[in-house]
Amino acid sequence: MTDELARWAGERAPALLARAEAEAVAVLRDALVAAALPRTRTEPSAPPSAADPAPQRGDALWTYGVVRAGAPSPAQLEGIEGAGAVELVVAGELAALVSRVPLADFGEEPLRRNLNHMPWLERVARAHEAVLERALQTMTIVPLRLCTIYESEASVRAMLAAERESFGEILALLDGRQEWGVKLLLDPARVAAEARARSPETETLEAQLAQSSEGGAYMLRRRLERHVSEVSESLAAEVARQVHARVQDWAVDAVTLPAQNRELSGHEGEMILNGAYLVEADRVDGLRGLVDELETHHRALGARIELTGPWPPYNFVPSRGAGALA
Amino acid sequence: MEERGLPTRSSSPLPGRPDSQTNLADILERVLDKGIVIAGDIQINLLDIELLTIKLRLLIASVDRAREMGINWWESDSSLQSLGPGGDDDDNGDQGRLQQENRELRERLERLERALGVGEPESKSD
Repeated sequence: MTDELARWAGERAPALLARAEAEAVAVLRDALVAAALPRTRTEPSAPPSAADPAPQRGDALWTYGVVRAGAPSPAQLEGIEGAGAVELVVAGELAALVSRVPLADFGEEPLRRNLNHMPWLERVARAHEAVLERALQTMTIVPLRLCTIYESEASVRAMLAAERESFGEILALLDGRQEWGVKLLLDPARVAAEARARSPETETLEAQLAQSSEGGAYMLRRRLERHVSEVSESLAAEVARQVHARVQDWAVDAVTLPAQNRELSGHEGEMILNGAYLVEADRVDGLRGLVDELETHHRALGARIELTGPWPPYNFVPSRGAGALA
Repeated sequence: MEERGLPTRSSSPLPGRPDSQTNLADILERVLDKGIVIAGDIQINLLDIELLTIKLRLLIASVDRAREMGINWWESDSSLQSLGPGGDDDDNGDQGRLQQENRELRERLERLERALGVGEPESKSD
């Protein structure tokens, strides 16, 4: 019986294999054709989305950050929207700042919806930040990325235990230090004026422009504009480098971030530096002095330096914990 | 408007902070993009989160500066084209990507055909 089956399978195998091969090639050809077609075509037979599951009941734990277990915590901290007060979950020498959130809003599905709703995201981001800022006043904290959520205190403790060593190292590195933000804004018109004044070529071009015919004047004007904008750019970049270097010297560590979008930040002028600096707490007064000095030094360019902080040290923790998902 | 009705916190103003609300860009560039990532129990589809942060990054970073700094990776993501800076070279970019994808698929098909021993008689073994 077994032998028969084996023989039968042996006979059939090449045919089956050939059919499978043909099918595989056909599938791939279809994919190739589909890829070559314009994308405006609607998705063919998208799988029907699963019916909305019943709203989840129960709570989960929203985690703000990790601190040392013995650290003096602020009296009463209000959590993010819909969450309970902030509590400590302790495991060994570490503790996590958490608050209870309803799964109906923070389960996977509702959370994804909420995150894509900008006003909700803004409220939660501000509240998450507010908790960490208050905590920062009395203890060293390792800030966690938004939306680190656990099902139970036991899971939080397991995480703390698994990351014990790396959290310990990070906390030691952050003790007595503060994150400050420094943004340098320049007035583009003043930068252009300064660029004209500094570049001898501008004068030459302007002199030529004064004597040229109408047709020639157009080309010369274009050249002059291009020249001024190039000199302006390198001037602004040089000032940004200088300011960053001076503040960096004052700090333990430094990173530069992309300039911010005006719509979101509402800043005036051109943001040419957006830096974060880890500074020894006892050097913060000096930092203020330094920033004032730099602002005055570059006054001719309409320089304004925005100093913000102290921030939870978001920019000075590794992006992934040792036991995080690969 | 009604979305702004967040109950105001009674916390005292923090040292070093103006009384006005902190710039949202300052907060988002930190809480969404920085801070340590530890796997939680609630797994938000990583792809969704990444897409969200990418979209927000577009809001956060001024596109021109970002491009100057070489941060232009979103330009190769077709799902973000509508959010991108736009411009006349978008079509070329799209086509370029399509051609690239096409080429890659073609190569893959050829490799597969060779491996399967179909489509290329000279490589047919047996």
